Amino acid sequence: MSTATTPLSDAPLSEEAAALATGPAEHPLHPEHTPTGQLSFGAFFQGVNSSTIWRLPESGDQVAWESFESLVRTAERGKFAAFFLGEGLRLREHRSVPFELDVAGRPDAQTLLAALAGVTEKIGLVATQNTTFNDPVDLARRLQTLDLLSGGRAGWNIVTTDNTWTGENFRRGGYLDHADRYIHAEAFLQVAEQYWAGQKISHDGAHYTVRAQGDLPRSAQGRPVLFQAGASPAGQDFAARTADVIFSPHGSLAAAVEFRRSIVERTVAAGRDAGAVKILPGAEIILAPTEAEADEKVRWVRDHQIGPEQAIALLEQYWGRDLSEFDPEGPLPDVPPEVVESGVTRGAGFQFEKAEQLTRQWREEAAEKGQNILEFAREKSGARRGEFTGSYDDVADRLTEFARLGAIDGLNITPWLIPSGLDDIVDHLIPRLQERGVYPAEYAGSTLRENLGLSRL
Amino acid sequence: MSTTVTPDETTRPGAAPGTDSSAGPAAEGGAGTLPVLAVDLVTAPSLLEGLAPLARGLEDAGIGALTLSDGGLHPIHVAAHLAPLTRGIGLLPRTDAIYVEPFHLATQLMSLDHISHGRAGWLLQAETDPSAAEAVGREVLGLEATAREAADVLEAARTIWGTWAPDAVVRDTERGVYVDASRLQYADVEAETFSVRGPAITPRSPQGLLPVLVADTDSAAAGERVRGELADGRVLDLDVSGGARAEELAAKIAAALEQAGAGPSVDAEQVRLVRLVGLDLEADPLGTVRQLADELRSRGLIAPAPAASDASDAASASASVPASGRTLRDLLGLPETPFRLDPSRRADRARLTSEENA
Repeated sequence: MSTATTPLSDAPLSEEAAALATGPAEHPLHPEHTPTGQLSFGAFFQGVNSSTIWRLPESGDQVAWESFESLVRTAERGKFAAFFLGEGLRLREHRSVPFELDVAGRPDAQTLLAALAGVTEKIGLVATQNTTFNDPVDLARRLQTLDLLSGGRAGWNIVTTDNTWTGENFRRGGYLDHADRYIHAEAFLQVAEQYWAGQKISHDGAHYTVRAQGDLPRSAQGRPVLFQAGASPAGQDFAARTADVIFSPHGSLAAAVEFRRSIVERTVAAGRDAGAVKILPGAEIILAPTEAEADEKVRWVRDHQIGPEQAIALLEQYWGRDLSEFDPEGPLPDVPPEVVESGVTRGAGFQFEKAEQLTRQWREEAAEKGQNILEFAREKSGARRGEFTGSYDDVADRLTEFARLGAIDGLNITPWLIPSGLDDIVDHLIPRLQERGVYPAEYAGSTLRENLGLSRL
Repeated sequence: MSTTVTPDETTRPGAAPGTDSSAGPAAEGGAGTLPVLAVDLVTAPSLLEGLAPLARGLEDAGIGALTLSDGGLHPIHVAAHLAPLTRGIGLLPRTDAIYVEPFHLATQLMSLDHISHGRAGWLLQAETDPSAAEAVGREVLGLEATAREAADVLEAARTIWGTWAPDAVVRDTERGVYVDASRLQYADVEAETFSVRGPAITPRSPQGLLPVLVADTDSAAAGERVRGELADGRVLDLDVSGGARAEELAAKIAAALEQAGAGPSVDAEQVRLVRLVGLDLEADPLGTVRQLADELRSRGLIAPAPAASDASDAASASASVPASGRTLRDLLGLPETPFRLDPSRRADRARLTSEENA
C-alpha cells in the first residue's frame, strides 16, 4: 500500500507525544514499526447494552432495516472502512430474568450484512461470530458468501464466548473449558482458512471432526478480514498470530503506545511483518463546537444511558441480591453481597467470588467522592470524558497526533444514538482529519483489505 | 401484521392453541387460496453477476416469489441480499433442517423476515447426503431419524419465533424499561437430539411465524409428519429445464393443480406455491415467464402478483418495504399468527417465583 509513504505533518509533536517516542519520526515507537500516518474508522453498531440511548425521541428503532440502512449510509458518506455488528447468542439476564432496562434484541449479524451489501458500494461489512457455538465449515461458508456478495468487503470479528449458560441454546451445550477457548478458536480458524482456500478439509481435533471440501471461488480480497478483540496476553498472542485487525479499547495515548509496542513485539515474534496487525481500538467519540459544550454533552449522554433503575441493577449484579429498596439518590448499600450461583457465568460482570471485596471497595470509593448510587453508576458504566471528547478541532488534533506517532491505525467507533450517532463525526470531525492529511478523502479501493491498508494476500 | 394478544386472552379457556380465531386474509374473497407462482434460483457463484436485475425482472414479469436453492452460496444470505433490491416478491431460501444449529437457523430466518418486511419463508429440506453430516462432524441419520429431526427442528424454529410478543419492546421511560420480560417466553425446547432454552435474540418478526413449505422434490426425506401435518403447504415443482412454450407449461401446471386439488385436502398438503425449477437463465427467460404468469392468471390458476417494482423505486434508497403492504403469509393465503403466551414458559418466571416465596 502507498499509505506507508504518506508524508507526515512537519508540526512538532506535543510534549506528551514526544515523551512517548523513543525513535525518529520514521519509527517513533518501535524500530521495526513505521507509522502510516493514516486513520481508518469503523462504526460499531452494538445493538445491546447501555451504551445505546433508547429514551430519547430521536432514538430510532433498534431492529428496523431503515435504522441500519441509514447508519451505514452515513458511515459510507464518511468513508468509514467498516460497518461492524455485534452478536450475542443469548439474551442477557439479570437475576435469572431477561434484562429489561437496556436495548436488547437484534437481527442476525451476517443476514443483515448480506442485505446491506446490496445498498452499499465500498464500506466493509464485519460480523461478530462465535467460534464455540458455530460449525467451522458452515460459518466459513456463510462468511465467504458475504465476501462474494459484497465484492470482497466481508470481515469476521472472532469471539470465543464459551460459557454453559450460552451453550443452553446449542446442540453441544457448554462443552468447552474456558482455558481451551483460544486453542479451539485457532483450530476452528484453520478449518475456515482451508475452506476459503478451496482445499479438502480433513480435521480430527479434540473438539470435532470435519470432512469437507472448499467449493467457492476466492473473493476479490482473498478471504474475509479477521478482527479480534482479545486484550489478555493470550488474546494478544492469538491476534498477533492470526488476525488482521485488533480493536481492544485503551484509554490514553500512553496506553495506546504501550499496546502498539506489545502487539508489534508479538507480531514479529510470530514471524509476521511489524505492521501486519492493524490496531483500531473501540472508542466513543463525543464532540461539540467547544470543549465546554463537549463536557456538557458527556454528562447529557451519560444521564440518558444510565437511569436510576439501571444504576440499581448494576449494583445488584455485584451484590447478588435485590436492592430495589435502596434510594438511587442515596449512598451505596451498606449490606453485604450474597454470594450465590458461583461457577455459573452469566455474561460479563458476574464475578461473585470477588463480590465481597469489590462491594467494599465501591462503598469506600463512592463515599470518598461523595457520590450517590446514580452518580456512581453513571461514572462506572456510562460515557466518560475520554481521549476523544472535546471540540471538533481539539479531537482532530489529538487524533492526528495518535496517527503521526503510529499509536493506532484508526478507531472502531460506537455511536451512542441510532441512527444519527455518526452524523457529527462525519460532518465535523472527518473533514478536519482530511484537512490534516490523516484521513482518506476517497476510498483507497473496493475491498475491505484495501481500505484498511492491509497488504494483499 | 401481527396480532397483539394479551396474556389474559391467551390463557382464557376455549382459545384452542394452533387455531386462528381472527380469520386473516385467507377468508377474504378466496383470492388468497390460489397458489403463488415462484421461480427457483440456484445459488451458484455465477448467479451473482446480474442477480439484482434478474430478481427485479422476474418480479416485474409477475412472479410472486423466489426460492433460493443451495448451489454453493448460502441461500439465506442470498435471499437477504435480494430483500432491499426487490419490492413485493416473496423470498424463500430452501435450506437444510438437519445438520444445522436450530437456534442459528431460526435466528437467520426471522432476521430475513425483518429485513424483507415480512416477505420471508422457508422451504424446508431434510438433508440425506452424508457429506452434510461429515461437514459438521455428526453421524448420518437414517431416514426415520431424519424425518423425526426435521419435525423437531421445524417445531423448535416456530417455538423460537414465538418467544417475543409483538409489543415486548415497550420503551417505557417512566419505569426505565426497554423490554418487558413478562412479554417474553423461554423456548424450553427439549428434542431428541438437541435443546434450546431461548428466548430468541431477535424480536418478533413481521410475520411472527414464517411460512414453512415443502417442495415436492424434498417431501420424501422431510417425512410424513412434516409433509402431512406440520408444514404450511406444499410446493408443486415443475421442471422447465427442457424449455417450452408458455402455453404448454400453463397446460402442464393446470393439469398438475387439478390432480393435486383432487387429493386429500389437509392444510399441510395444500399447494401454496407453484415453482419453476431449472429455468435457463442464459436464454433470457423473462419473456417466457411473463407470458406464463399472464396465461396462468387469465385462467385463474395463480394468485395476483405482489405489486411489482418500478424502476424509479428500485433505484431509490429503501426499496425493501412491500409496496402492497402484504406479507408472504398474506400472499400465500395463510392466516396471521397471533402471539400466544404459555404461562409455564414465561421469561419472568424466576421473578414470579421469588415474589411468591416472599
